[in-house]
This record gives sequence, structure tokens and C-alpha cells, in this order.
Amino acid sequence: MHIRSILAPSTDPLDNLAVMADKVFELSPPHHQVQALSAPDITGDRLSRLETHIAQLTASVAALQTSRQPRGRSDSHNFRASGPLVTDAATTDATSGDTHATDRIGAEWSPGSEMSGGERKKRAARGTGWEEAGGEFYQESYPGAELDLEALPRDPHYFATLLPSKQTRAATTRKPSKVDNKATYRRRTSTRQRNTNTMGQHTMPNDTHVAMMPDLSENLANEETTWEEMMLIKAMPVTMAQKKEIKAKLLSADTFRMQGMRRLKWRRRKLWEYLKVRWKELHKKLELWRGSFQNIEGRFGPAVTSFFVFIKWLMLLNLSTAILIVCFVVLPAILIDERDEECLPSNTTTTSIPCCSQLYSTNSSFTMPSIFEVLEGTGWLERTHLFYGAYPYNVLQDEFVFYDLPVAYMATFMVVFGLCFCAILKGGSSGFKERLIEAEGQYYKFCSLVFSGWDFCIHSDKGASSKHKALFMEMKEWIDEERREDDKKNRTRDEFCRMLLVRISVNTLAKLIFVAASSLLYFIIQLSQSELQNDISEEYRLLMEYTPSLCIVTLNIVVPNILHYLVSLEGYSPIITIRLTLVRNLVSRFSVILVLLSSIYSQVNCGLGPDDACVSRSCRSPLCWETYAAQQIYKLILLETITQIAITFLINFPRMLMAKHVRCKLARFLGLQEFDIPKHLVDIVYLQFLIWLGSFFMPLLPAIGTLLIFFMFYLKKFSCLVNSLPSATTVYRVSKSRSMYLLVLLSAFLSVIALMGFTAMSIQPSKSCGPFRGLSTSWSLVEITYGNFPAWFRNIVAVITSSSVAFPSLIILLLLFYYYYILTRENRQMVLVLKKQLVLEGHDKQFLLNRLSAFIKQHQERHKAARSIDPPPANSA
Amino acid sequence: MGQKCSQFTEEELQDYQDLTYFTKKEVLQVHNKFKILAPEKVGHNRNAKLPMNKVLQYPELRVNPFGDRICKIFSSSHDGDCTFEDFLDMMSVFCEAAPTAVKAEHAFRIFDFDGDDMLGIADLREVIDRLIGPHRLTDSEMAHLVQNILAEADLDDDGALSFAEFEHVVDKSPDFSSVFKIHL
Repeated sequence: MHIRSILAPSTDPLDNLAVMADKVFELSPPHHQVQALSAPDITGDRLSRLETHIAQLTASVAALQTSRQPRGRSDSHNFRASGPLVTDAATTDATSGDTHATDRIGAEWSPGSEMSGGERKKRAARGTGWEEAGGEFYQESYPGAELDLEALPRDPHYFATLLPSKQTRAATTRKPSKVDNKATYRRRTSTRQRNTNTMGQHTMPNDTHVAMMPDLSENLANEETTWEEMMLIKAMPVTMAQKKEIKAKLLSADTFRMQGMRRLKWRRRKLWEYLKVRWKELHKKLELWRGSFQNIEGRFGPAVTSFFVFIKWLMLLNLSTAILIVCFVVLPAILIDERDEECLPSNTTTTSIPCCSQLYSTNSSFTMPSIFEVLEGTGWLERTHLFYGAYPYNVLQDEFVFYDLPVAYMATFMVVFGLCFCAILKGGSSGFKERLIEAEGQYYKFCSLVFSGWDFCIHSDKGASSKHKALFMEMKEWIDEERREDDKKNRTRDEFCRMLLVRISVNTLAKLIFVAASSLLYFIIQLSQSELQNDISEEYRLLMEYTPSLCIVTLNIVVPNILHYLVSLEGYSPIITIRLTLVRNLVSRFSVILVLLSSIYSQVNCGLGPDDACVSRSCRSPLCWETYAAQQIYKLILLETITQIAITFLINFPRMLMAKHVRCKLARFLGLQEFDIPKHLVDIVYLQFLIWLGSFFMPLLPAIGTLLIFFMFYLKKFSCLVNSLPSATTVYRVSKSRSMYLLVLLSAFLSVIALMGFTAMSIQPSKSCGPFRGLSTSWSLVEITYGNFPAWFRNIVAVITSSSVAFPSLIILLLLFYYYYILTRENRQMVLVLKKQLVLEGHDKQFLLNRLSAFIKQHQERHKAARSIDPPPANSA
Repeated sequence: MGQKCSQFTEEELQDYQDLTYFTKKEVLQVHNKFKILAPEKVGHNRNAKLPMNKVLQYPELRVNPFGDRICKIFSSSHDGDCTFEDFLDMMSVFCEAAPTAVKAEHAFRIFDFDGDDMLGIADLREVIDRLIGPHRLTDSEMAHLVQNILAEADLDDDGALSFAEFEHVVDKSPDFSSVFKIHL
């Protein structure tokens, strides 16, 4: 009361009031002690009146602390890491009369009847030493401790809300949180540590007594910390008005001005933040397809959007590839004059490289560009820098520049493929981590389904209803799956055998289909080649040229549908079905391409020595087989694109119209289509596969690919937004889909690398075209170039790759691997132990709470009994 | 933008920028969206209090099964009616820039229907019920599901999820932050 009178005239903000209160308390411990000592003289009747009064007050305080609103309220006051305890006391003081003072008295006196003498003595000594009193404070200041036994209901759940862990949650959420999670945790622990450091055992921020602790040192912030704290306000779960209040308080508080280097640093940091915000704004404005993403996300959810983000990512990958290739290969080849070596007539052999080149360049005379040539990539188009054949093989050199194009060609592609590989790995690494978590059984399947089930960005009714349905199906599916797991154990032998039989036969059938498709293609290629040897009309020729590609495209349409039907027979769970379909589709597409490539290979590689002729005559292989191969892929890509367009606009679009306007069940059944991510994913990845495959022999293919994928984005967007409905059977998950895309892409990439490696290392480049003419293989260029490197460099490489270095490093790697393996095993063990411990602690807590409530009940009954013997004089305070 | 700026002073915008995860421009965008909900009211008083059913006209909230909960959580008067500042707070939590910890805090409050600071069985049932919308799970299926959730996440085995447990789960669930957002 004394302190209150001292403080009354001052009009300072609460912070300062509290500080003052602290000081006053510090100055006047004897008074406090006297109060404590003189108290036992109070008569029993006053005591009981005080008791009821206190009980009421504490009940109201407890109610304030537990209800939601006061959490918000105290949020605003407890915000400053250094000042929470101080301010809180002040506010309690201000809001609820003299709770502050009475609380303490109550803490000392209400249990008076049960208190032992020793305890009382200890309490009396409290005023003198803060250090000793710490523990006492802690116990007494709990709202659930003895002081308010009477006011509390007997429900143990109610006590649970008073537990310190609950209180600190309120404290931690109001003391959040830098932008990333790690920082949040660090901060949380640090604030907790600070509390314990300064207050001994006190971990309760709501503890009013802590106000008396001398805690001035951290109250004075410098500009930087103020600013930092201001940035943290936004993370607080309080209303805007309160946030504003806190900000105003922060700004008005005294701060140290920073000087010198620190100031400079802070300035720089501030500027940096500002620039980041600016950049974010700019980026948002310029971001490609942002509106499309939002539109799709609003109707189909983020998982489908992630597919479109993947398409964009692929486009950007192709774009950067194309830029690299254009800069280092195409532009130099165009800009720098080619020094053509003449095919000297005196030269007796006509199979020297210049002669072969001349043969090739004069072979196809320049004609007017026709549509056929564009479609086939022959004629004048073959002469352009689109194809491998047009690139010079000699070192480009004039007065100013020296450019070894073959080396640059090789190096650029090695860099490009390396970059693609890194990009895929980097994109996929996060997904890989999630997969690992999942594999360790720490993935919260049901929780994620429920807590991250709804896509908050969905804004269309259709999207919402299909999301409801999809979630419903998913839940049912998982419950069924659990049951099926049980069934699996007691599945009868008959059923098991039948299932096994079905799966084996379906698998065999699928493999048979692959073989059949491949052989069909093989025969068609043979046919078309034999036809092309004959003299035929232009149109027929075009048809024959395109027959293999047509066959491939048809197979790509037909086979997936058969597979789709087959997989439904097998009775796998949806996720396995998706994976299986994906793998089978990829295998079928790759195998078909493999057949095409091997037929080209057999045409090219007829096993003739280098000096025999420009080309081997026996199998009539083309003069420039690299260009020929590139043309095949070029045709394939063109046809693939055209088919995609045709399917989208000529088949799926009418289907959608039919489903929408014809009120017949069959029409609806045929017409309704869901956006099936795996199917579209295979389309896109296949396209990318072809682009990579062709790029070495068609350097401008990535540039064309960029355009195609750009175009594909709109095509897929059309088929998504217009043609399809959101999938109501499968819940696609963002994280899983992302890793799925990159895994599929990686498999495509690795097969391309394998094919390219084989080509570069074992097939002789054609003599009459391209930068590698005259070499035994294109890879030998790398070896030659390496041979030209300075000797010291080669020595170093030789030492590094020698067994004396490689073997020990292998051993070290193995040891490291083993170490981490052990570490994870131990950690896993630890996790299990800790989990068990946690459960035990939880049980302990429950047990103690129950005991506590029982104890209170007992206590209250005893009190009642005492009162009934000795009726209280006045019931109200 | 000059015309639209007139409803706010530069300091107010600066305040909003400091106190939310938005830039000034985005704050104005949010205000425009808010204005669309009730043009005549907001045009008059930029911080007008809109009743909950008006706020629920916002497309994302309209179809959201937790729309009313969201309004209640963010409403400064706790009855679901939102002023512009409440709305701004809401959008700020749901925007992409907001860290997962903040989102988790609010998600917990949204899912905590009875307000006892724990996600009990009743809360979980309510969440699931709202998630599947018009469809219905049988009682045993629901019980099974709830039991599975508790088995996964209830670390201390007290039959309800505390915030710490909820946050842990959300932290491990990679999709949470990508799902718990509303575009401007």
C-alpha cells in the first residue's frame, strides 16, 4: 500500500512505474519483514475474512490468466524480453486493485493453520535474502498452489491449464520469432534461459513477485534491438491495435544511440532489409505466370499447381541451357568465318575429310524451302546451324580471335549436362529428405491429412466440393488400408494365391506389351527404310519419313491406356498404383525410343574402316548420321507436340463438352475427366527427354524446347482448367509430387546421359560433317585436349587419381559413412527412449493432477466441517 | 494509385508495413479486397466493422470449412465481425511470407473449437467433420481416425494434443505451410 501511495503521483508509463516499484521494494525490505512478522496477531475472524477475500481475488486472477483474452492482453505487456516481468506486475497492480499486495499476504497466511513452525520461520526470513527466497516464491506464486485451494474447481483438467508449460507457451508465442524456425527456437530457449538466469528458478512470466527482482540492466535497449523487436511484433497473435500500442511504446522508450562501426553495420542491415522488400515487390510484379498459378491453385489446390511450377522450372532450365549453347557454340560458329579446306584435285583419294565435307555440302543442292523440308528437317534446314552437320571442325582463327570450336562444343555440352544434373539434384534434395523421414516412420500420415488437409487457397465451389470428396475418400482409403493390413495377416491362402497369380500375369502381360510394341516399331522402321530407298513421290516420301514417328506416337497413346486398365486389376493401393503406372509408362516410352535409336545405330555402324570411304556403301548410311539422328528426334518432337494439341483440342475438349451438355449417363462417363498428374507428367518429361537426347546433335534444340515447353504450359493449363475437373479420388500432396517429378526427370536424364556417353565413346563421327569429323570417336577429342594441358596439371590429376590417393580416400569415406550410420542408429534409439520417457512424464503429470484435485477436495471438506462447527461471522468481504 | 492512397496516410501505411508481413502496396491491395466485400460501408469509413457473413463473402473464406473459425480468431471483438485491421492481420498470417511458427499458432487456435488450449477428441472430430463436408464417416471409422491421429501425435498420452505436440506435427508435415495460405 505504501508503494502505491509513492507511485500514485507519477504519471510515467507502466514500465517505469514498475521499475520504480522495484526500487522501492529494494529499499524497504525491513518494512516487508515487519509486516510479515506482525501478521500472526490478527484474530481468527479477520483471518477468515481475509481468506475469503483472497480466494475471490485469486480466482479472478486465475480466470484472467487462463481465459483467452488475457493471454492477448498479457501478450502486449510481456512482450519485451527484458521487461515482461516488471510490466506485468505493474499492470496487475493497476487492473485488479491491490491483488499484488494481497496476493503476497494471502500466500503467507491462508494456509496458516496447516503451516509448520519451521516453515513459518523460513518465511519470516524471506524478506532479507532474495536468493534464498527464490524457491519459496516459485512455489507460492503458482495460482494453483495452496493460496487458492478453495477457489478452484476439482477438475484436474483445470489444473492442467495452469501448468507452467501452458504458461510458457503463451510466453513463447508472444516472444517470437525471427523469420525462420530455427531462429524461433533459438530465441525461445534464450528467453527461457534469461528468465532462469535472472530469476533463479522462476520460469513463470506471469509471476507477479518477480517484479521485485532487480532487473534494470536489460531494460535499456539500443536502436538496433528496438528495431529488431519491432520486426518481431508482426509475429504476435494479437490484434492490430495492440500491435500499434506496442510499437508506439517501443518507439517512445529510451534507447541508446549507437555509434561508430556498429551504427554503420546497423544502417547497412536496415538498407539490406529495405532492398529485400523492394526486390520482393519487383519480383512479384515480374514473375511469369503468377496469375495462372493462383487461378489453378484456387481451383485445383497446390499439388496441381506444383506441376505447373515444375513446367516453368523446366522451361527455365531449357532457357539457360539454350543461352549457354547459343553463346558458346552457335554464335561463334555463325560469326567467325570458316576456313574451308579445299578438296584438292591432286589428292588421289576422294575420302579425305575435306573431300567428304565437300561431298556433303554439295550433295543436297539448295532448293526453295518447302513445307516438307521444314517438317522433315532436311534440305535447306539441314544446312543451317540448327543441326550438327553445319558446324565447322577446324579451329576458328583470324587476326583477333582464336576459337577452338570442337573443344568449345564438347565443353559446353559437358557443362550443360553437368548443370542440368546439379539443378535436378538440388531441386530433388528436399524431397529426398522428406522421403527419408517417411522411411524412418516419423511421418505423421494421419495428422498431415487432417491438419494440412484443406487447401486454404481454394476459392471455387467446385474445387471445394471435390476437395471435400477427395479428403473423404482418402480418409476412407487409409482406414481401409489399415484394415487390409490386418486382413493381409489373416488372408486365406486361396486369396493370396489368386492375388499373386493376377499380379504375376499382369506383370508378364505388361512386359509382353513392351516387347510387342518394340517389335512392331522395329518392323515398321524396316519397312519405311526399304520404301525410302526406292524412288517415290514427295508426299509418299513424307509419309514414309514419318511412319516410325507416327508409330511411336500411336504406341504412346495406346499402351498407357492398356496399362491403366491392367493396373486396376491388380488391386494395389492408390499411391502404389500411381507409382507403378508411372514406371511402366516410362519404361514403355523409353523402350520404344531405344528401338528407334538402335535401328539408327545399326544403319550407321556398318563396321567399315576409317579410310574406306566417306560412308559405308554397303548399308547406305546417310552422309552425316548425326544430323540424320537429330532429324529423327526432331520429327518425333514435332509429332509429339501436334498429337498433344490434337488430343487436347480434338478429343478431350469435345469430351468435356459432351459431359457438360449431354444428360446421358454414358456421355458423362465418357466425357468426365480428372486432371491426372502422372499422365501429364509423363508427357512433359518425355518431351524433355527428347530435347536432351537430341540436343547434342541439334544444338538449337534446347531453344526450340524452351518455346515448346512455354507453349505446353498453356496447353496443359487449358486441359487442366477447361477440360478437367479436380481429382476427387486421389489427394495429391505437394511435397510428394515435387519429389516425384524430379525423380522421374532424373531417371530420364540418366538414361540420356547413358545413351550420350555410349554414342560419344564408341561411335565414329561421320567424316563429312560436324565438328568432330576425322576423329575416331568424339570423346577422343577430350583425350587429345587433355593431352595438351600443361604437364604439372596432368601430373596433379594423375596423383589424385592414382591408387595411393584414391584408396585411402575411399577408406575414409567408408569410415565416415559408417560413423554416420552408427550416429543415426543411436539417434533413432534415443528418439525411442525419449518418446517413452515423454509418455511416462505425461502419466506422472496426470497422476499428480488427480492427486492434487483429490487433495483439494479433502481439504475443502475438512474446512467445511470446521466451519459447520464454528459458523463464520460474515460471509462477504 | 493516388486515388486509393487517400484513405491512408503514409505513417499508417508504414505502421502496417512494420506490423504485418506485407509491403505498403500489398496493404493497399488488401484494403481493396476488403472494400469489395462492402463497398458502401468501407468507402465511408475505411476501418468499418463488417459482420461475419460479409467477411465470409471473401472467396477463399466462403468455401473454407473453417471460415467462421478464422473470422472469430482474428476478430478483435471475438464475435467474428472484422474491421479492416483484423482483416489485414488475417491476410498477413495467411500470406506466403509468414513463418510456419506463426501459421501453426493460428492454425491451432482455429482447430481448437472449445477454446481449452488443447485439441481434444471433440475438436478433432469437429475438424474431420468439417473437412469432409457433406460426406459422413461412420462412427467407428471416425473413432479409428481420431485414435490414429492421437497415436501419431499425442506424445504424452493424455488424450489430447497440446500446442507443443501440434507444432511438432506441423513442423514435420512438409505441406502445412504450402497449404495454409491465401493469395492476395
